[in-house]
Amino acid sequence: MKQRIPIQRRIRAGKDFATVLPALLFLGLFVYYPVVQVVRISFTNWNLINDNYSYVGLKNWVWLFQGSGTKYLINSFKVTALFTLGELSITIIGGMIFAVILNRITTSFSVMRALIFLPKYIAMSSAAVVFIWILNTQNGILNFLLAQFGKAPVNWLGDKNRALFSILMLTGWRTVGYGMMIYIAAMRGISKNYYEAASIDGATKWQQFTQITIPILSPTTLFLFVTTFISAMKVFQSVDVMTAGGPYRSTEVIVYMIYKYAMEDFRMDRASTIAVVFFLVLLAITAATMKISNKRVNYDA
Amino acid sequence: MKKMLLLTAALLLVTGLVFAAGASETKTASTAPAISYEVTEPITIEWWHALEQQYWPLVDEIVGEFNATNPLITVEAKYIGNYATVNENLVAAHAAGSGLPALTVANTPYVAEYGKGGLTEDLTPYIKATGYDIDDFGEGMIAATSYEGKQVTLPFLISTQVIYYNKTMADKEGITIPSQITDMDAFMKKASKLNSDGTTDRWAIIIPGWDQWYFEPMYLNSGVKIVNDDRVSTDLAGPISADLTKKFQNWVSQGYTYWASGTSASSNMRQNFVDQKTFSVIHTSSLYNLYKGLIGDKFELGMAWLPAGKTKISEIGGSVLLIPAKNDQKTKNAAWVFLQYLIGKDVNMKWADGTGYIPTRNSVLSSEEGAQFLQRKPAFKAIFDNLDEINPRIQHAGWNQLATIWKSYLDQIMIEGADVDTNLGMMADEINEVLADSE
Repeated sequence: MKQRIPIQRRIRAGKDFATVLPALLFLGLFVYYPVVQVVRISFTNWNLINDNYSYVGLKNWVWLFQGSGTKYLINSFKVTALFTLGELSITIIGGMIFAVILNRITTSFSVMRALIFLPKYIAMSSAAVVFIWILNTQNGILNFLLAQFGKAPVNWLGDKNRALFSILMLTGWRTVGYGMMIYIAAMRGISKNYYEAASIDGATKWQQFTQITIPILSPTTLFLFVTTFISAMKVFQSVDVMTAGGPYRSTEVIVYMIYKYAMEDFRMDRASTIAVVFFLVLLAITAATMKISNKRVNYDA
Repeated sequence: MKKMLLLTAALLLVTGLVFAAGASETKTASTAPAISYEVTEPITIEWWHALEQQYWPLVDEIVGEFNATNPLITVEAKYIGNYATVNENLVAAHAAGSGLPALTVANTPYVAEYGKGGLTEDLTPYIKATGYDIDDFGEGMIAATSYEGKQVTLPFLISTQVIYYNKTMADKEGITIPSQITDMDAFMKKASKLNSDGTTDRWAIIIPGWDQWYFEPMYLNSGVKIVNDDRVSTDLAGPISADLTKKFQNWVSQGYTYWASGTSASSNMRQNFVDQKTFSVIHTSSLYNLYKGLIGDKFELGMAWLPAGKTKISEIGGSVLLIPAKNDQKTKNAAWVFLQYLIGKDVNMKWADGTGYIPTRNSVLSSEEGAQFLQRKPAFKAIFDNLDEINPRIQHAGWNQLATIWKSYLDQIMIEGADVDTNLGMMADEINEVLADSE
């Protein structure tokens, strides 16, 4: 038999819903509506300029998965995955190393921490312009320093095997301090009792680090992993300023690919198709990460 | 979580099925043009430009003069960024239908896309209604600024491809810029200096690979049809194109030249020329003043026409002016008044003197004013002697996509030494698909 919900509870539920309604409307208007529009545009031939367009069925999808778009999509996913792997490694491993080294409460260490964290405050576009000049083949300071050791100049941004690495230099310079600060904050929350007990049991510093620090920091690592993963997958500005996707598409990450088709080639239809695929991939990977992490992350600390 | 995923998937599926059916739909059509082109009441309008900081005093002077002499119209000049940034902002504002400038510059290759997409106001009725004389522009300029017979834009700051060379070095070593592509081999050997270990001490010329506009005339003059007459295919994988591409590749591998590609390629190339690490460079005539300033007294700057093949044409570069079609008629009328002023003969000469752009008016080019201009900038004789050879750019809605693909493959061929025939074949397949899909 169906139970009747008391009127007071219904009113309370209605009030609760009313409080979240503005946020839902905002989300619907500025998040879900554009997503639906992007999906719709992927089935049209809209070029962004023309007011008129037609629905073309699966034409753009066929171009992306069975036409000339396939190899560029695969290339961009490969480039994006490599970049993401690089940024994740720098942020998590680099951040952890710096956190362990600089986790001291003295003025000199505070200054060093500030110096490492400072680049995070510099606008990416400005930093990218500076790095273009640092990495300039002929007049860059990096090649000048290499020349002092008798090394030939390196084409940092013009060589397809080095260009992505060069962008990662900038990324690492900006993000390693962020990873460090997050880890230091988390490390200071770990009770000293764990380490004292481990010392009494004869555990070495390394054993304490691997058996206590790393497991207890796993929620922090998960946080850094998810946030860095999403931001790295969506990298655009540094690529746009430093290489414009080149040389010959070797740094063409997914978001830059979408931008190029939409804004330079006037193919909003194709850009939307790539955007939908990218959205689904991001959604699937994030969901999978959350599911896997539920079993492996230790929230006991 | 599972429910959310299912909900999202269902939403995407339903949306996809609804719109995948091949139905046809159009957005609201633009409003019909008004009849009057008069400015009858005070109005403030915005002009978007791409003139960098060194030109702002000139912009202020020219806009200030207009504002002083036109009490009903106040113009606010706004620097947006380079041509690509102007394009992004303009297209976004057009799609949104708001935030449009009254008047804007646009790089010449965008004319076809903008014209086809209805972004630009057709200026033909304005020209007729106000009796504006556009015949004083050369035929090439008129063709370059119109789309399918409609005058969708008008010439503003016009440039073309040229070779800048070190005249002091040329006189001293007896080097001349070849007039024919077939003479390029001999020129490359004579003008370059190679070290005993095979490295290059001085390049003969630097070829800009970052923009296909610079090497395009060499292909066109050799007889390559970049877009065939059928408008859906390219001849870029044909034997003439392959031969020329192999020539370029050979010059690069020999160390006579390098293929300047990437984000710093333009500034590096300029610096190499100033540092006399290269005898010459291919660049736009609009940078004449900049080169002059950078070189100073180091050496004399020469300017030459690109080597010819079957023909000796070059292509129009620089920018045009356009009025966005979605503006209201009052704004369009004010913009039309300001546009006429900006491209007027006197103001055009100010632009030509203050920048490196070419005077656009026939009445200037073939008159005493033209002669005086040449006295001030003698290197421009190379352009004045070939004015009839400056042609409009290829107009095709898929042009930007074609250019991206072409540049990318040539980069690979020149920098990696990839096989020419194989790569040009793959490139042509991609370009043909793009052309067919865009036409």
